[in-house]
Amino acid sequence: MKIKLQPPLAITLLILGFFVFVPMISAFEYSIRTPLTGGYGWTHYIWAVTEEDFLHYILRSMWLAGVTVLITLFVLVPTLTWLHLSNSKVRGIIDGLSLLPLVIPVVAFAVGAQISFPEFVQNTVLELPFLYFVLALPYAYRALDIGLSAIPLKTITEAARSSGADWLRTITSVIVPVIRGAVMATIALTFALSLGEYTLTVLLHWDTFPTWVTYVAQENILGAIAISMMSLILPFLILTIITLFVPERSTQGRK
Amino acid sequence: MTHKVIEEGAPTRGRAFLTSFLRNFLPATPLLLIVGFFFLFPIARLIYVSFLSNENTFTIDNFKTAVQEPYRTGFINSIKIGLFSAALAAFPGAIAAYFIETRGSSKLRRTIAVMSGVLANTGGIPLAFMFYAALGIQGQLTKILKFFGWDLYAGTFSLGSFIGLLVVYMYFQLPLMVIVFSPAIVSLRREWSEAARNLGANQLNYWIRIGIPLLFPSFIASFLLLFASGFSAYATANALTVGNLPLTPLQIGGLLDGNVSAAQLNLGKALGVVMIIISACAVIPYLAIQRRSARWQKR
Repeated sequence: MKIKLQPPLAITLLILGFFVFVPMISAFEYSIRTPLTGGYGWTHYIWAVTEEDFLHYILRSMWLAGVTVLITLFVLVPTLTWLHLSNSKVRGIIDGLSLLPLVIPVVAFAVGAQISFPEFVQNTVLELPFLYFVLALPYAYRALDIGLSAIPLKTITEAARSSGADWLRTITSVIVPVIRGAVMATIALTFALSLGEYTLTVLLHWDTFPTWVTYVAQENILGAIAISMMSLILPFLILTIITLFVPERSTQGRK
Repeated sequence: MTHKVIEEGAPTRGRAFLTSFLRNFLPATPLLLIVGFFFLFPIARLIYVSFLSNENTFTIDNFKTAVQEPYRTGFINSIKIGLFSAALAAFPGAIAAYFIETRGSSKLRRTIAVMSGVLANTGGIPLAFMFYAALGIQGQLTKILKFFGWDLYAGTFSLGSFIGLLVVYMYFQLPLMVIVFSPAIVSLRREWSEAARNLGANQLNYWIRIGIPLLFPSFIASFLLLFASGFSAYATANALTVGNLPLTPLQIGGLLDGNVSAAQLNLGKALGVVMIIISACAVIPYLAIQRRSARWQKR
């Protein structure tokens, strides 16, 4: 395939690329320096990966993000399906509610969270997925909403129901596959947001992969840079894989 | 209460009310419960506590202190960095979005969408490292600029200063602009520019009469969202500044951690409430404009 770039586009990409990649490559160059020999090598990456905490925190962040994704899907897919089918009066309220987290600065939300929850909630790290769910809600809600608007939901549901499927089966094996583009987009952005969340996590005194880097920076700065580079590449990979898997039409809704 | 009264008065209508309640609300309860407990409750409590004195009596002293020094400077700086970073990112971001959406192949557009999504969420220590490596005292770009005769650090520049922070914020503000502004560009229909041309308009006429008026509301909306994002950014500012630049999110963080003590225990909550009000002034118009333009953006 021939790639044709028009001059204005080429210039735009060049400037953006310069701005995006110069800091990234500079940091990468730091992360592969080996001060002892004066050359380059993967020393800091190897150091980071073999560090005991590395696996601990990366796994912790991953499962917290996984739980967030599960909560998001389990709560939002049935609720939105129902809202679309029933034309309920609460739809307007819930639409508005889903956007409200955009209004609240995360710092203010963190203060509120710290003074509100009972002990048993504050003492478990499981409070984080629910809070991440709230932070991702405006995006997840909209992605699924667009996905559901783009399909003839009523027809599909009636067909499934009259063929004898119960609601659970209708949602899991009919609706979700039909809107898989929107579902994948929701998974991707919820996962990426939870994996990288810093402000709320650190203000509520929890340790996850993004906050762990702060500690590492105090003892091994080049190692911390290596870890930062990895934490940047990880969401890139996850999102790229997911968007490659998703057929183009379904990610953008009806055009 | 009302529920019960109706049931006693008219049993059939009561049952109808109950079923309509079940039909209208029940399936939404899981979502409403989670959002209520994990979001609305903390925010309501934050607002309530911000009006309490140390002895738990009602007071507005917290707010009085919140608008005095040093917190006043914090707010002014935060608003300034929100406005400036949005102003600097909005125009280039809009133009980039325009060229990418109108001239780019679908593969390119998808790649840019993914990259913008990741970049708009960078922040904190990783972002600070990248800019130390590029524009820090020992940074690569600093060295190159010095070679060409521009010593960045000859004056008062540092990455933790206002200007430095502004440069760093561009790294997530620009991609954010591309993300929020692209839908508006996608919805500019080719038919409109063709129709304008058929009626004798040239490129300039088209932009002045049709293109810009159509895109303007979305542009303002995007600007407002960028302002909110720059205004409330915490992680990056926390990683780059060392207490030299008062910003409200950092002041709240300091009070929350107990690193900074204040005579009023609930001062941090009042600062949070003021932040919410300022942020709402930007985000609510953004949502309203988005909603309006969504009407003609649908195909």
